[in-house]
Amino acid sequence: MKVLVANIEDVMREAAARWTLIAYFFLSTLFIIIFASAVNLDIVNGALAGAKLFGKDVQMGDNTISIEKLVLGFESGFSVFLYFICTFLAIFATAHLVPRMQEKGTIDLYLSRPVSRVRLLMSRYVAGLILAGSNVVYLIGTIWLIIAWKTHVFHPRFLLGGSIMFLMIAILLAFAFLIGVVTSSTAVSIMTTYGIFFFGLMLAAHDRIAAAVSKEWQAALINGLYWIFPKSGELGQAVVAFVGGDEMPARVLSVLTPAPFLTSAAFGAVCLILASWLFTKKEF
Amino acid sequence: MTTLIEVSGLRKLYRSSFGQPKITALDGIDFQVREGEMFGLLGPNGAGKTTTVKILLGLTHATSGSASIAGLPVKNPESRRRVGYLPEGHKIPNYLTARQAMTIFGRMSGMDSATMRTRIPDLIERVGLGMKWADVRIKKFSKGMTQRLGLACALIHSPKLLLLDEPTDGVDPVGRREIRDLLREEAKQNGVAVLLNSHLLSEIELTCDRVAMLRNGKVAAFGTVEELTRKSATYKMVATPTDDSLVAAFRETGAGVERVNGHMVLSVSDVPHLNALVDKLRASGGMLNELTPVRSSLEDVFVDLIRAEEVPAGGTPAERDISQ
Repeated sequence: MKVLVANIEDVMREAAARWTLIAYFFLSTLFIIIFASAVNLDIVNGALAGAKLFGKDVQMGDNTISIEKLVLGFESGFSVFLYFICTFLAIFATAHLVPRMQEKGTIDLYLSRPVSRVRLLMSRYVAGLILAGSNVVYLIGTIWLIIAWKTHVFHPRFLLGGSIMFLMIAILLAFAFLIGVVTSSTAVSIMTTYGIFFFGLMLAAHDRIAAAVSKEWQAALINGLYWIFPKSGELGQAVVAFVGGDEMPARVLSVLTPAPFLTSAAFGAVCLILASWLFTKKEF
Repeated sequence: MTTLIEVSGLRKLYRSSFGQPKITALDGIDFQVREGEMFGLLGPNGAGKTTTVKILLGLTHATSGSASIAGLPVKNPESRRRVGYLPEGHKIPNYLTARQAMTIFGRMSGMDSATMRTRIPDLIERVGLGMKWADVRIKKFSKGMTQRLGLACALIHSPKLLLLDEPTDGVDPVGRREIRDLLREEAKQNGVAVLLNSHLLSEIELTCDRVAMLRNGKVAAFGTVEELTRKSATYKMVATPTDDSLVAAFRETGAGVERVNGHMVLSVSDVPHLNALVDKLRASGGMLNELTPVRSSLEDVFVDLIRAEEVPAGGTPAERDISQ
């Protein structure tokens, strides 16, 4: 526990000193302020008389839309945007944790303590997750509060949708750690992690890509890669589906199955195990 | 006395690029470091000193042989429970203050907050940093101050063994002396064993009880500083009178005799030979005023050792001492 506390303190102090923490939360706050000033709702006698988003009128049609439905639709649509923002900021703020620790003259100081290498790496991983998680909570929590304050609609699924984002961050951070252990390079860690995130988005259409390729082995390769890599596309869709709940179309809800979650989590777990094993074997 | 470091037949081969032979960094070295002892590890660049320390700390893995700290194999992280390490060119994260760095490293060594609250100010003063620097970011420190802080971080958890790589690098002469005194105090009062890895031979000579000299991954010489710096069977004799007949009588026995500034430097085959010369002096009516072994500096020994192409059969006198 002391090792974990020491690593959390180290990571947080580094994030604060290097402006990462400030930039991380400043960008989030900026986003929240823009969001808060962009949403204007006109509620008369408890019913939504009109709504403006980013200065444009929201089409209400002839029928009145219940405020709950509007909030639900807005939150589910907006959650996918937050999914990208949170993931990107998190990787940017934490991918350096292993490469910096492995620098000559620094790693000696950490490894000369009575701590196993696996424990050291895992403590750093948890510290990174706490840093990223605190931003997810801040960003989603504040937006949820703004929506609740402006509409008086308290929709907990929007908050809970953050856990799917957090899962994606945990998986990508595990991959960033693996690359960090192997290359000791922050730049390579960030590039490859973003790469795998986008690759996962593309592979969401693996059926169509596999059907379009001319050779059977190419189709098998694409389908194989789909099952190996984290399903960033499906998990993004899952955030929308989860937040929207039963109001969402069946096509969107179809993604809420265990398979994309379990296979993506397995990818993250394998990355962490591999990172730990390589870190244990590595000579400094 | 408890043995804190036990190294036996330690070998380390480094992989080189494809098709090239492996590089032998350590070729079967043996040594022990005891509680309360100050032990110097010497050798030219690439002799294997850093590799030895890295193996002891689990930073790199031995190809064969064994190494243990306080009876625990170095692969076991618990072996480092009571080890303090100051690497050469260390990079304590410079976004931390001295107090924060010591807290983080203390916590990683299992210390509780209450103990650290008293230990940190005490150590900051002892290493000569001064409390006014305790809450200043390390990036504002000079090299010497960073080095003092590194020593404080190494000592934070009251280790029983200190592994120090060029501990006085960048420290001014007064500071060096303070650090030397601090290390001696830790060794004498707390029984801390210190393994000192330094190129400053005069410092090793002043500080260490025993020394191992590495060359090409092997222990080329080993012993106390006194043993290593004593010129084998060479003595300074101050006697009266030192006339030509006495010199000739000495030379007849096979001794080498040089007259230097009113005294004689005698090269004898062994101690009985030396006694025979003393007998001759007395028999001739001479008076023995002084008889002392001639010593060279550790630097002389080091340079001689490095320049020697090969260790003669049977090893250096120091090696022969160890094998006995």
